[in-house]
Amino acid sequence: MSKLDGFHEKDFLEQVTILNEISGSSDSAHLPGLLFLFEKPTGDTGVDYMVVNALNAVLGANEDAVIQGLNSQNPAFRTLCIRAAGEYAFPDAAEPLADMAETETDLDRLTEILAALAKIHPADGARIFRAFLGHDDPMLAALAMEMAGAYADTQAIIFLKAAVEATDADRSYEQCDITTWKAIDALAAMGTPESIAFLAANVHHKNPTARRIITDALVRLGEPAIQHLEPLYGQGDVDQRILACNIVGFIASRKGADGLVQGFDKGFFTESNVRYAAFEALGRIGTLKGLVCLVDGLMETDELILMAVVTGLERHAAPGILKTISERIATGDERSTRIAHAVIASRALRLFEELYKNETVGAALLVELRKSQDAEILTDFSARLDQIGTDRSRADMLTLPKPKTATRKALAADDSKSMLALYRNILTDLGFEPLMAANGQEAYAFVEAGEFADVVITDMNMPVMDGMELVGKLRASLGYEDVPILMVTTESESSQRDMASRSGVTSFLTKPFKPEALKAKLLEMLGG
Amino acid sequence: MDVELAKPFIKAAMDVIGTMAFITPRPGRPFVKKNSIATGDVTGLVGLTGEGKRGSVSISFSKACAVAMVKNMLGDDIQDIISDVKDAVGEITNMVSGQARAGLSEKGLVFQGSTPTVIMGDNHSISHMSKSPIMAIPFETDAGGFTIEFCFE
Repeated sequence: MSKLDGFHEKDFLEQVTILNEISGSSDSAHLPGLLFLFEKPTGDTGVDYMVVNALNAVLGANEDAVIQGLNSQNPAFRTLCIRAAGEYAFPDAAEPLADMAETETDLDRLTEILAALAKIHPADGARIFRAFLGHDDPMLAALAMEMAGAYADTQAIIFLKAAVEATDADRSYEQCDITTWKAIDALAAMGTPESIAFLAANVHHKNPTARRIITDALVRLGEPAIQHLEPLYGQGDVDQRILACNIVGFIASRKGADGLVQGFDKGFFTESNVRYAAFEALGRIGTLKGLVCLVDGLMETDELILMAVVTGLERHAAPGILKTISERIATGDERSTRIAHAVIASRALRLFEELYKNETVGAALLVELRKSQDAEILTDFSARLDQIGTDRSRADMLTLPKPKTATRKALAADDSKSMLALYRNILTDLGFEPLMAANGQEAYAFVEAGEFADVVITDMNMPVMDGMELVGKLRASLGYEDVPILMVTTESESSQRDMASRSGVTSFLTKPFKPEALKAKLLEMLGG
Repeated sequence: MDVELAKPFIKAAMDVIGTMAFITPRPGRPFVKKNSIATGDVTGLVGLTGEGKRGSVSISFSKACAVAMVKNMLGDDIQDIISDVKDAVGEITNMVSGQARAGLSEKGLVFQGSTPTVIMGDNHSISHMSKSPIMAIPFETDAGGFTIEFCFE
């Protein structure tokens, strides 16, 4: 006599108790009874749901029944068995499931079959999933791609490459097919020289979303990606070289620093925006060789590059290096003024504190500091002088100008710390109170908090929310319909600019630029 | 596996909106977004935790679509369109989340869902709590569009 006899006549509590017991015991003896209830439900949703759970539990302990159930004439039970085969990863179910996958026409069930196979992960599974790489249903194709990555199926590489190249930039700047995403991730998961080299060659993918996914994947791959990125230093176009430097910087492996230093030695980084990216990357890595190269960077004349150099040195300042910087500033020539200015503008407080110990250098830094009109810079350095706590520092502190209160505000968004420092510098010079944001979302948060900016400067490619989306949102915000927006970008492709123009950008400026050029542009946009 | 997680939500959204609001949604081509911002006029958002993952699912309706749903659900009994829309979107999101989680639990994937939060405001934006790419599935209906977005990490 089975517990399930006369089940329909029992009251709710009894039914629930029995089903709970069966779920707990997973006893196969109850399979026929549960099947009967599955085909003839009680009509009470709660109880019927528990029947399914109990059935699932019993099936979990009975691989043969599951495999048999894959042929069931009852489609609902068949689906349940497909799921159970996957959930409990029954290896013997793989073969019948693979056969079913070949003939199944119902899309939902096909997805169930493949999802179950993915969980079982049979040894020869690569072949099964490969057949679905080009499936019309993007979700199914995405699943097949994910598995191609999991199996490191080299025969799938050709499909995956095609999927990466297929995403169309013109359709929408913020959209990217899920198949492109999964193909990129699968190529990264394979991690073969061929797949990594392909990703590296596509760092400047025409679709910004795909580009970011590729960047993230290469950063995730870490050291193995570096040797495939380095050839771009010499062979890539400007955008590819910049992105290669950025990624190597984010990977932050010592190996990457050597390649960057070689890139400088071989004269690959000639354009100033590439130099900027290369120094910024070296600054993130910070090996001894890299630091020596950064110290050489103190000879740069471009203010922006110099700020990247100083930001990097600030991060890794070691005594030997401090001495060199100190000597450079102490010479008192034009170059030393530029370096002192960069230390102040980058808010390199650690460097400042060390360099200040030398009286001549300290005096040179103070000259630059007094020129600043930036309230935050003045406050920060003033606090640092106070903290140093010598008679000289306290006296110097009193010589700092009082920050002027600005009447106009400016909003600037950029994911580069040194770019933000530069904007801050220029904007305060022009008498703006700067609102600084590391990405579009942070920038938009100012607007949502009710801040109003008379002018907006934004980068194009930023994490979280990019420049184009920020501009789109600003244009839809009350009071921001006609505010001048300047987009600063390294993008040389005109297609990207068209998209940005459509989203409402007033004017463009290409990185890098001389601070005067930015000032002139801002004044022009503000009507003098 | 995102696909396996996403499918039950798509199915549930189509079922729930079809059954409760008598509107037939037609799914469009799914895409990936690089930012974590959902944009719409009315959004229902639920947080999910379980299986060592956490994430969120949002359904963002255009104003026209949200209003059409409320009209279909309440008929002439609309008292205050704003609060009724808010209520309806919250309820629908809750049902979608519940039905989808039931579907997932049949595959042995157990998730807990939070109570839905409803955000209203023309073209507002909300953030998903994730660093991984967001999968979005756009839907068209005769009354306007809506988008389901997922992110899991």
